[in-house]
Amino acid sequence: MKLKFLMILTATASVFLAGCGYDNFNAPESSLSGRVVYDGKPVGVRNSGPQLELWQDGYPLRTKIPVYLNQDGTFSASLFDGRYKLVRMGDSPWLQQASDTIIVNVKGNTSVDVPVTPYFTITGNSFQKSGNTISARFVVNKIVPSANVEFVRLYLGKSILTDQVQRELRVDGNVGTLVFGQQSIIEGELPDNLKNLDYIYARIGIKSTASSEYLYTEIQKIALK
Amino acid sequence: MKKFYISIALLACLSMNSCKHNEWFERDPKSMITDDQLWNSPTLLTSLMANYYNRLPALHGLFNTGGMTEIDDAMWSGHRDQNWHNDFQFGDDYGRYWDYGFIRDINLSLENIEKLSVKLTSAQKRLFIAELRYIRAFVYFEMVKRMGGIPLVTTQLVYDFSGDPTPLQVPRAKEYEVYDFIFQEMEAIKEDLKDNNASKTRANKYAALALESRAMLYAASIAKYNNLMSSPISTPGGEVGIPAAMANSYYTKSLNASKEIISGPYALFNENADKGANFYDMLNKKTGSEVIFAKDFATGLKVHRFAYDNIIKSMTEDNESSSTISPSLSLVESFDYLDGSKGSLRNKDASGNYIAYTNVQDIFAHKDARLYGTVIYPGTAFKNNPVRIQAGVAVWTNGRYQLTSSPELGKNYDDGQVWTGFDGPKDDATDVSNTGFYIRKMVSDAPAASTRGTSAANWWPWFRLGEIYLNAAEASFELGQGEGLGYINSLRQRAGFPANSLSSLTMDIIRNERRVELAFEDHRYFDLKRWRMAHLVWDGSENDPNAVVWGLYGYRVIRPGHADNGKFIYERIRPSRFRRARFFRLANYYSSIDQTVLNNNPKIVRNPFQ
Repeated sequence: MKLKFLMILTATASVFLAGCGYDNFNAPESSLSGRVVYDGKPVGVRNSGPQLELWQDGYPLRTKIPVYLNQDGTFSASLFDGRYKLVRMGDSPWLQQASDTIIVNVKGNTSVDVPVTPYFTITGNSFQKSGNTISARFVVNKIVPSANVEFVRLYLGKSILTDQVQRELRVDGNVGTLVFGQQSIIEGELPDNLKNLDYIYARIGIKSTASSEYLYTEIQKIALK
Repeated sequence: MKKFYISIALLACLSMNSCKHNEWFERDPKSMITDDQLWNSPTLLTSLMANYYNRLPALHGLFNTGGMTEIDDAMWSGHRDQNWHNDFQFGDDYGRYWDYGFIRDINLSLENIEKLSVKLTSAQKRLFIAELRYIRAFVYFEMVKRMGGIPLVTTQLVYDFSGDPTPLQVPRAKEYEVYDFIFQEMEAIKEDLKDNNASKTRANKYAALALESRAMLYAASIAKYNNLMSSPISTPGGEVGIPAAMANSYYTKSLNASKEIISGPYALFNENADKGANFYDMLNKKTGSEVIFAKDFATGLKVHRFAYDNIIKSMTEDNESSSTISPSLSLVESFDYLDGSKGSLRNKDASGNYIAYTNVQDIFAHKDARLYGTVIYPGTAFKNNPVRIQAGVAVWTNGRYQLTSSPELGKNYDDGQVWTGFDGPKDDATDVSNTGFYIRKMVSDAPAASTRGTSAANWWPWFRLGEIYLNAAEASFELGQGEGLGYINSLRQRAGFPANSLSSLTMDIIRNERRVELAFEDHRYFDLKRWRMAHLVWDGSENDPNAVVWGLYGYRVIRPGHADNGKFIYERIRPSRFRRARFFRLANYYSSIDQTVLNNNPKIVRNPFQ
């Protein structure tokens, strides 16, 4: 009786616990990393705001792999080796190029620069502190001729993740007097909750009317003491 | 001997089966209804219609507690496993609705009634066909307002096994073509629906006009406001985006439909002299002639659990859930004062000091009575019991107020009086309001309505006259006609304002009236979308009082010897369970189309930003 029980147990265990090769895959080990660039320089965005899409042909299940961007324009995705198509989505601070895909061959750890065409860029930015005023100087360049500026804004915050969504102070620049290619200034008065900190973070963002996402400058740490 | 029995049995078998009555074998199956039976029996067809009426879609409506906490009118205070309602971003697929299974069922029914219903009278057939077409247009309207232009399929699509699926691949219609389809269908069937005019739960002539009024208003405002955006949202083929030139004709169509309803047999609900209670009764009672078309519920037969989800904490009749929807301060403040001034609550004076009120409800005094009918706020009553909303006490120490709450609800402070009420509010708590407000509208006050055993049976209004007044006011205002003012003033008079309380209209006034009159009735999300304002109001900014749900906590002052002792002060707070500001992106104006749909039908164009 005992022997029979053991035999049944062994048989059951071997049936139920045996792995099946069809539905057990190893986790993807390769990685695709890269940056979103314009003119060789990374493009700053809102953290986990704009997305890229990856697609892979040749399988019956055709669905996208969303790739989120860090605020400095970098990204990474864990993938299997293979040939992927990378798509630049709309509702981003750059032109939608849905049909103009980039072919990426992932083998081991692959790195790729994704060129985009932002509506605007901001160059030559600098921040000065005098008293309780932060003044930001920058130059706005128009890249897409048909684009219109909706907002250009200075953001100050406590956190390194400072943007339209998460910030302590937002100062609107005057879009009416903005001249492309020439220096503009936005000045912001430090609010009470920032005044006594050791340092704050500052950033300038610009939004075109064609998208809900801003293009940002690199985050800048400003020492207050 | 054995042989004898066998031969008798054989004889019996062979000789007794000579019966010619074959029909004895032919019996109606008891587990199956044949086409012939179904399409020829008005009773069976009515129950088929009940199935279809039951499947009419809504986004935040139909007592969808979770959906109601996903915009700026409220936050989620229920179980923590659904706190994502307070911590999410509208995804590209938010509100996606693509129900061609339902469309097929309706098309199949339409074709079968035409073909197989030989025993129905022509009047019966006409009515069923009109109802089916009404439901189909209703479903198409729900699809077009969420997805933009969709394939207009009005017949069954049957595969012929030829190996070529292209005849089944229907491309998307232009957005305005779908709205035109709805208009034409309603015009075609409205007279056929007259036989239902006595019913409020089956489509009748006025339900058709009400759908027309709403759909045409949506089409008109998309035509107008989309093209006022600095970059209008559109696709080259017109699947998304309506030409601006069509706005006026749509507004006119909407206004005509609204006027026909207003001159019909309906009247604003006015049965209770207490204006606030009257507004609550309007949807909670099934009397009066305000509601045009509703989804009905009945105790013991078909019920819903909106009262179980949302009953105020101290009046819970069941265990676990209560108090799930916590209305926001911004909703409460959008109700104007009866003297016509803006509804901001005055909790602090100009120099930033608290204003003390003698009674806990005094800060809400002289507000639009619809506030009482929509929201439970401190100092009011529900089911004739006073609510116990008080966040804590404010103790004057070292020249300032120290605000404290008791660790448990319903405890008394050292002075023997209430510390925190049984109804909270309490920050970071489950099943008790986190904003200081509870929902009253549509939460049934029937006995045992908030138990899971009995549940609630108040109905869901698809269309009511109040909305038609607002539709008419908006359409006539957009057309530059003056009659809109009268409609808005009648609604405000019903809410306790003096007669003719407004002397002129603006679009902002109309928008605010829609927010307060139609709160929690599945309008706001779509209203902000069609005005192309959603991305401005819900801008994702953590500093924005519209995008963030705020609360208002009342505290009892403990300051012996001072005039304010025993009075109440109020503090604006951001509930800590509310994690992420509402963020509506341009991509959310039209939900993304599912990838399997795109894979299966190469003729489907993607939505913008998808």
